[in-house]
Amino acid sequence: MRVEYINPFVEAAYNVLTEVLATEVKRGNLFLKSATKPVMGVAAIVGLAGEVEGRVLFDMSKQTAIKIASVMNMEELTEIDDLVKATISELANMITAQAVTKLHELGFKFDLTPPALITGDNMEISDQEVEALIVPMESPHGNIEINVAVRERS
Amino acid sequence: MKTKVDFPTINQKDPDGRRPDGSSYRVLVVDDSMFVTKQIGQILTSEGFEVVATAGDGEQGVEKYKELFPNVDLVTMDITMPKMDGVTALEKIMEFDKNAKVVMISALGKQDLVKQSLLLGAKNYIVKPLDRTKVLERVVSSLQ
Repeated sequence: MRVEYINPFVEAAYNVLTEVLATEVKRGNLFLKSATKPVMGVAAIVGLAGEVEGRVLFDMSKQTAIKIASVMNMEELTEIDDLVKATISELANMITAQAVTKLHELGFKFDLTPPALITGDNMEISDQEVEALIVPMESPHGNIEINVAVRERS
Repeated sequence: MKTKVDFPTINQKDPDGRRPDGSSYRVLVVDDSMFVTKQIGQILTSEGFEVVATAGDGEQGVEKYKELFPNVDLVTMDITMPKMDGVTALEKIMEFDKNAKVVMISALGKQDLVKQSLLLGAKNYIVKPLDRTKVLERVVSSLQ
């Protein structure tokens, strides 16, 4: 997978998280995963289809999701309820929209699916025929992994 | 030295959401995200606006507008929604009431749809992520 696909997502995640959380966010080291990878507990997934195709996953623990949603709603939330889910989906929306704008400017043409939110324990994600690049983002509220698996349509 | 008088209030300003007679501007919020609806609601009510209704898709938004009319002053309209998108809903609202004041709420990267909305009669637009200043500025200028 070409690294230029992931950079816009990392940049966008950095911009959006810094803005909505009003805090310092650090970018961890990028790593590559080719087979199956565990999912932390709350994952927002956005599909890409067009000249490039694949999916982007925003993965975090339930605890992190609740903390981030609490900050974004300016109230103390305690469980994964509808509001937390709507908030994390919206976060994924905002990050993806910003990244895609950048990718469109670079000349890649494709459409997005609305984010789907998956929650549960002991989940894994497998990507056949395309490797996933992962960038952890570290915030005081917990880590979010941005997991991008896209390729050019052959 | 201790001062016995309160500091004078400078820059005293009426809440943006009230008319000169003190009544609130009435807003219909159309958005499929519970989070965004809540966020817009919090920002607007803190400035004295009244959120008279919310709708989760374009179709419902148009219905609610017709129901409320003429007791609604402004609509915030998300662009991407299920059933009926915000641009179509805007078009239908403008057909029904050519003086409707609609502010589009958009994710980044929807410039074409924003442009189309402005041509169809939307008064303004706000790009997410929303913040208080941005929302109030655009909403207030749309009401003038």
